[in-house]
Amino acid sequence: MPWSELKGKFLVSRFLFPDRDGERKLPSRNAKPETRNSSGRTLVVAALLLILIASAPSAEEKQLSIYGPRVSYSLPLSEYNGQDYVALLEALEPFGNVSARTENQKWKLRFDNLEAEFRQNASQAKVAGRKFELSAPFVLENNRGLVPQRSLPAMLGLMLHTKTEYHEAARRLFLGGVATHFTTDLHETGLSVNFSAPVNPLISTEPGKLKMTFTRDPVVSNAYILRVENPLVSSIAFSENNGRAEVAVQGRAPLLAKFAAGGKTIDIVAAPREEQSTTPSVPPFAAPPVAQAPAAAPAYPTMQSLTAKPLFIVMLDAAHGGDDPGARLSETLEEKGVTLAFARRLRSELQSHGISAVMTRDADVAVPMEQRAAMADAARAAIFVSLHAASEGRGVRVYTAMINSANRKPGAFLPWGTAQAGYVLTSRALADIVKAELGKHEIPNTELPAPLKPLNNVAAAALAIEVSPSAADVGSVNAAVYQQRIAAAIAEAIVVGRPRVEAQR
Amino acid sequence: MTRALAIATAFLLASVVAMGLYLHILRRNEREHAQNLQDARPISAPVAGPASHVTLYLAYDDPGAVRAQDATIALPADPAQRGREILHALLGEYVKRPSSHELPPGADVKDVFLVTGDTAVVDMTPVFAQGHRSGVFVETLTVASLVKTLTANLPGVTRVKILVDGKERETLAGHADLECFYDVVTVEQLVQQLQ
Repeated sequence: MPWSELKGKFLVSRFLFPDRDGERKLPSRNAKPETRNSSGRTLVVAALLLILIASAPSAEEKQLSIYGPRVSYSLPLSEYNGQDYVALLEALEPFGNVSARTENQKWKLRFDNLEAEFRQNASQAKVAGRKFELSAPFVLENNRGLVPQRSLPAMLGLMLHTKTEYHEAARRLFLGGVATHFTTDLHETGLSVNFSAPVNPLISTEPGKLKMTFTRDPVVSNAYILRVENPLVSSIAFSENNGRAEVAVQGRAPLLAKFAAGGKTIDIVAAPREEQSTTPSVPPFAAPPVAQAPAAAPAYPTMQSLTAKPLFIVMLDAAHGGDDPGARLSETLEEKGVTLAFARRLRSELQSHGISAVMTRDADVAVPMEQRAAMADAARAAIFVSLHAASEGRGVRVYTAMINSANRKPGAFLPWGTAQAGYVLTSRALADIVKAELGKHEIPNTELPAPLKPLNNVAAAALAIEVSPSAADVGSVNAAVYQQRIAAAIAEAIVVGRPRVEAQR
Repeated sequence: MTRALAIATAFLLASVVAMGLYLHILRRNEREHAQNLQDARPISAPVAGPASHVTLYLAYDDPGAVRAQDATIALPADPAQRGREILHALLGEYVKRPSSHELPPGADVKDVFLVTGDTAVVDMTPVFAQGHRSGVFVETLTVASLVKTLTANLPGVTRVKILVDGKERETLAGHADLECFYDVVTVEQLVQQLQ
């Protein structure tokens, strides 16, 4: 028996849920080691429950979406003294090399060749040698600089030398005049929505209604509601809120969406009658934007679907952090910073596909390896993705646990050291899909098993992604565009692999 | 001098002495750590025995592979000592310059123990881990090379445990798991992919 097993670390696979008689059963022979850490585990579980509640669709967190010519992303907002704040470093990361340091009460930011200086609780800042008035005092929290969201458009405009347009009520920021317009074309068989650029919305349907939600596409419109006389469609409404736009089509019958013209057109037609009673196995609020939307599905998961299966959560693990810098990639680049930036990009990418993503760390803090696995297990995450970076090689290496597969017994305790054994086949299948998607995006890749901590301790499909530079310059590993390409490929792979993962849960 | 002032002065003096002592300990630890990193002395005396053919599985950073290479070394009769000499020969390839997979000078095997016939416990020098490059792939190459070389030359060994300076260590250099036992079958699968 492995030494780690002898330590008596046991994972309770149904930790969050008591048995039918209401009592949680513990293994008699190994009860002592479990109870020794019970208070710590309880705290972890409580914290994760709070995260889950916060990430549930009903308790939607505020977010701001930024649309640029080459990249679009969303950032979470934090509230201080009734004002919404956004992390400036994260807002600038996709556009270039950005770093920050704290000296006394000052927060000094460097973005490419531009410098900015902020002071805790002060409304006046210095950006590129010029005074800059913030709409509310600057907030420094755990060395993260937060600026009021109202000041962000002017600040980004100044730093990126571009014009900005901010839809403040909807928290949507457009840079460099980027915008996707659309027109509608009614015909006898339905409606065609034509966009000025390819789009990739999240499509959900409910009886008589079809909704297209755009998180990553800068879709805009002047018309907000259009009532029409058509045998199939009664109205088309455009709205924008909380960092996304929505086009809702009210129908006189169940509707179905089909993509055409390379994603520039979405045809909305009547759904075939036999499909009306189909209940999708995957909750449609997180359905991938496929060519054909599921017909007559509920817009949000029903209580039955929530109790039948746990939420589909992807746990993103930005490796290292705090006093553990990981690999030193160059004189100025440490692995911990690259993994955090990449994890944030992947989180945004997954969220844009309607998939809940939780991070083991969202700041430069140290998190013990075992705690990272414990977080995934306690949250009953569907997929665990550990993110790493390296200076050697090119492209992306996809790793799965180096462990023999074993059958899972429902409800049985899992040994901590080999918790992954029952999931490793699913992990490998998912790794194959990730490899294929990376190939589609023309990103060099290899797939291998690796003895990487803490993959063996994760009771879910678990992967590790190691990002290497795209060119001879090691700094390219931290380039926003490169990371965004990889994040998009991985997110698409998770969308494709989701049914396989769900089937194994 | 008031009583309160006397107490405060005594307290401050005690603090100064304690801090000085602590500083001395820190500097000594730092010095020992630096010495360990540069310690390239041989771990054990050369052994005598007939020259034998062994297969070393050498790691190559570029193009990222583990390949078999025959070697002839003097091997003693005791299986554990044979294991140590084989790994010593393997690590010798990595500490010389240039090397296909560089390890820091002084990276060596301290001892090999055979437990219950099928399990080998390998004890490495502190430098092996402290000076190892950090990265999933480079650490995986090292582990695969060590375990495969040992199990290929010691028939019957199916599991390998790696210790550093006689103690269990969480990871090699931040990535590769050193708390687990390495199974010969899974390592073999990895090496096949790396060939």
